[in-house]
Amino acid sequence: MHITELSLENYRNYASLNIELENKVNVFLGENAQGKTNVIESIFVLAMAKSHRTSNDKDLIRWETEYAKIKGRVQKAQGSVPMELIISKKGKKAKCNHLEQQRLSQYIGNMNVVMFAPEDLHLVKGNPQVRRRFIDMEIGQVSPVYLHDISQYYKVLQQRNRYLKQLQSKKVSDVTMLDVFTDQLIQLAVKIVRKRFDFIQLLQNWAQAIHSGISRGGETLNILYDPSINVSEEDDPSKMIHMFEEKFHTQQRKEIERGVTLFGPHRDDLVFQVNGKNVQTFGSQGQQRTTALSVKLAEIELIHSEIKEYPILLLDDVLSELDDYRQSHLLNTIQGRVQTFVTTTSIEGINHQTLKEASTFKVESGTISQMK
Amino acid sequence: MYYPEPITKLIDSFMKLPGIGPKTAARLAFFVLDMKEEDVLDFAKALVNAKRDLSYCSVCGHITDQDPCAICEDQRRDRSVVCVVQDPKDVIAMEKMKEYNGLYHVLHGAISPMEGIGPEDINVPDLLKRLQDEAIHEVILATNPNIEGEATAMYISRLLKPSGIRVTRIAHGLPVGGDLEYADEVTLSKALEGRREV
Repeated sequence: MHITELSLENYRNYASLNIELENKVNVFLGENAQGKTNVIESIFVLAMAKSHRTSNDKDLIRWETEYAKIKGRVQKAQGSVPMELIISKKGKKAKCNHLEQQRLSQYIGNMNVVMFAPEDLHLVKGNPQVRRRFIDMEIGQVSPVYLHDISQYYKVLQQRNRYLKQLQSKKVSDVTMLDVFTDQLIQLAVKIVRKRFDFIQLLQNWAQAIHSGISRGGETLNILYDPSINVSEEDDPSKMIHMFEEKFHTQQRKEIERGVTLFGPHRDDLVFQVNGKNVQTFGSQGQQRTTALSVKLAEIELIHSEIKEYPILLLDDVLSELDDYRQSHLLNTIQGRVQTFVTTTSIEGINHQTLKEASTFKVESGTISQMK
Repeated sequence: MYYPEPITKLIDSFMKLPGIGPKTAARLAFFVLDMKEEDVLDFAKALVNAKRDLSYCSVCGHITDQDPCAICEDQRRDRSVVCVVQDPKDVIAMEKMKEYNGLYHVLHGAISPMEGIGPEDINVPDLLKRLQDEAIHEVILATNPNIEGEATAMYISRLLKPSGIRVTRIAHGLPVGGDLEYADEVTLSKALEGRREV
């Protein structure tokens, strides 16, 4: 799929913007702080209804205006679909094909994107939260049911934590109520864990081949799911439910003492291994970088295999972070298949066919003009 | 304010109603000025009377102008079944259906620690007392199908388990008369989970 038109209104530093885009590599060229990342971010927000940089939607609205509007037209195999997202101080309104979508879980997934930004290097070396966020975003793009389950899960988790706090401070003493929240939590946790197992298995299959390519066959990448309790992939749902129940039962006193839920998908993690060694602790900078790149490229293939179309790739300031060999590997992978958006301060020094054919835009303090 | 005081007060009063902002309130207030005096008096009386004459039924918690309410008093109804709902409006919805002939119990809310609502803050203790005193064979849990409603239903069912009373939960899934293709994925997956043998 690819995006053919993008228009912004009061988005970050753009008062108004209308650009037409081609199904190839599009380069946004400009000095620092001119709004290159903002354009790429707006495409991400249009697809995911939230930003990868901030969790506060109000940040996206231009200074001293009431709302921000992003409109785009996405060309898919079945036809072209207009998408629209309005962000105001009161909330978000999402329209797909001119129809307002009541649930965001209904809207997300109509347009698929993969973002690769400098922060993505944290995927390997950052804290577990970053990796959980990554898993949730990626499964969410292809499964609205997962998106719903995970949002329900966090709601139950909040209620349960609040109740544990009340038990801790002896405001309440009714353990039956805690059991109810535990039950609700487990029902959703098992569904989430199941989906995560499947997703990580698929991701590993793709990433392994790609990683071996980038490292010229010298390295084997393994992606392991590290769930908060000791369940394994072969366990059927009823066994998982039982294991969770037992864990919560034996650890109840500890949970009340601490006043928080200690087990569940909100404590899961991912482990990346290269040649059997944990990259997070033992990997070199280069290995961490290669791992992050392999995972991102695997994501492109994974989405393609799920929805039979390539997602849109957003590369925010990462080309310069990669060495020549990794650069050309990345560019070879996307060549002619994936619509790609690149931001950079300069394209000199990147000598690749894909970039020579790219359409280039000059970004200057909130305006964009196409360069010949 | 540019309006004389009586209008300002009236606008303020309208704004206390849900869904009414300053502009709608002003429009309503000016409409009232143009109404006939007797109509305005009727309107005012209706407001006061609704507040004064209505109270909550001491048995089931439904809104009523007599205590116990007409439903609880009705001897023709099936007194062995109680349907537990969150809100008096839910009773009205069930009654419109004209298919249910049992009694009700209104909780006035759902359990939500986040909002500081615990089991004792909704009408649960009264329900337990009722079940002890009356000969009830079935409790139908008709709380809303969201996290809080579901937690409330599960909580009540756990409390009732030792008593041996039959506890049931209303089904959720596809709307009747709808097309499968128009259902959203989440509803569809719930309907699939709740499938039954035919």
